[in-house]
Amino acid sequence: MATNTESVDLVGDEAATNLARAALFAALVGAFAYVTFPNPVSPVDVTLQVLGVFLAGIFLGPVWGGASLVLYLAAGALGAPVFEGGSAGVGALVGQTAGYLWSYPIAAAVVGAVVHRGAALRDLRSVGLPSLVGAMVLGTVVIYGFGVAGLAIVLSLGPVEAIAVGAVAFLPAEALKIAAAVGVVRSDAIAAA
Amino acid sequence: MTLSFVPGDSLAHRLDPRSKLLVQVAFAAVAYAYTTPRGLALLTLVAVGCLLAADGGPRDLWGYRVAFPVLLFAPLVAGATLGAPWFRVERAAATGLASYRVLLLLVVAAAYVRSTPVRESRAAVQRTVPGRPGVFLGVGVALVFRFLPLLKRDLAATRAAVRARLGAERPRRERMRLVAVGGLSRAFSRADGLGTALVARCFAWNPTLPRLAFRRVDAPALALAASMFAAAVLRLA
Repeated sequence: MATNTESVDLVGDEAATNLARAALFAALVGAFAYVTFPNPVSPVDVTLQVLGVFLAGIFLGPVWGGASLVLYLAAGALGAPVFEGGSAGVGALVGQTAGYLWSYPIAAAVVGAVVHRGAALRDLRSVGLPSLVGAMVLGTVVIYGFGVAGLAIVLSLGPVEAIAVGAVAFLPAEALKIAAAVGVVRSDAIAAA
Repeated sequence: MTLSFVPGDSLAHRLDPRSKLLVQVAFAAVAYAYTTPRGLALLTLVAVGCLLAADGGPRDLWGYRVAFPVLLFAPLVAGATLGAPWFRVERAAATGLASYRVLLLLVVAAAYVRSTPVRESRAAVQRTVPGRPGVFLGVGVALVFRFLPLLKRDLAATRAAVRARLGAERPRRERMRLVAVGGLSRAFSRADGLGTALVARCFAWNPTLPRLAFRRVDAPALALAASMFAAAVLRLA
């Protein structure tokens, strides 16, 4: 073991809690990858990862929400089975899912910034339904914009073809996730925020 | 079965994690630079060699099965056209090559995942990214590895509970909400307990890490990475 001989530089209480929450949210997004629901319009099942991205932005805010998704990508790249279908490795970050994955931190930050109107967190009970839904619609646009662009570049598809492969079958399910996320925020079970 | 670290004593297991990461990035660069039948044929040998060096086999690729439908489907979509000639082979072939390239990237990534324990990955991150961002990434990655199985179990328990109460007959949106609420409240309570425990145990920005050192076995891997980078740069220049 390498030993540090300089004095110990302690992490503050607030930063430690935020780091723990960011890491747990990253793990939760990973665990959501294993939860599949039948897709209303396609035989391909949908997972709840995107719901996790929305919730990270809503509950942790733009800064720690984005940081949490960066942790998710880093852990997946280094071998935690957190990507779609329990896969892992750098391959997912440069393969056909690259656009979707790289967009997650940005989408979480966007959702958080719209919901909280800036970097500081505000009480979620004071957030109106339009800004909640608007934030998640914007997040969906970010995720699918990057995702379809990534698909087009990585698999050398045209824009229409990329949308056919990577968005058409999944967009209706995103509406369900947005509705579910609104239900989560409005439910009394989550008191930690 | 998911892809994960398997203890062993293969060549890849003995390499420094940083050289393995470098090989992966270089492989991706060169695969994107030479997406030609000849280039990919050569890279297939490199990718299979990487997997064999980690004592891996086709079974390790099973973890990537969800990626296969898209990779198979994309060339068909790319080739199809509205109107004559209905199917353009050259477009399908271009996308087919791109799909195969992604498959090779996954093979190389599988070799890394199979041969690298979490603490080495964490040490590699923390020694490569300087300062507090590096510590944040290192600690966070280690915590994700640690808590993923617990949260997976929490979610499975929530789903089982929902099903036991005939929740499977509720609308899909409602089922998603229930699973998310269950997972979220467990994640928050675990996070708050963890945060307190971290502070109580003197969680520091400068922890002690396992020692990492490039050794003689790393030389071929580093040479491979350097030559692939050079090839990619030559192609782009």
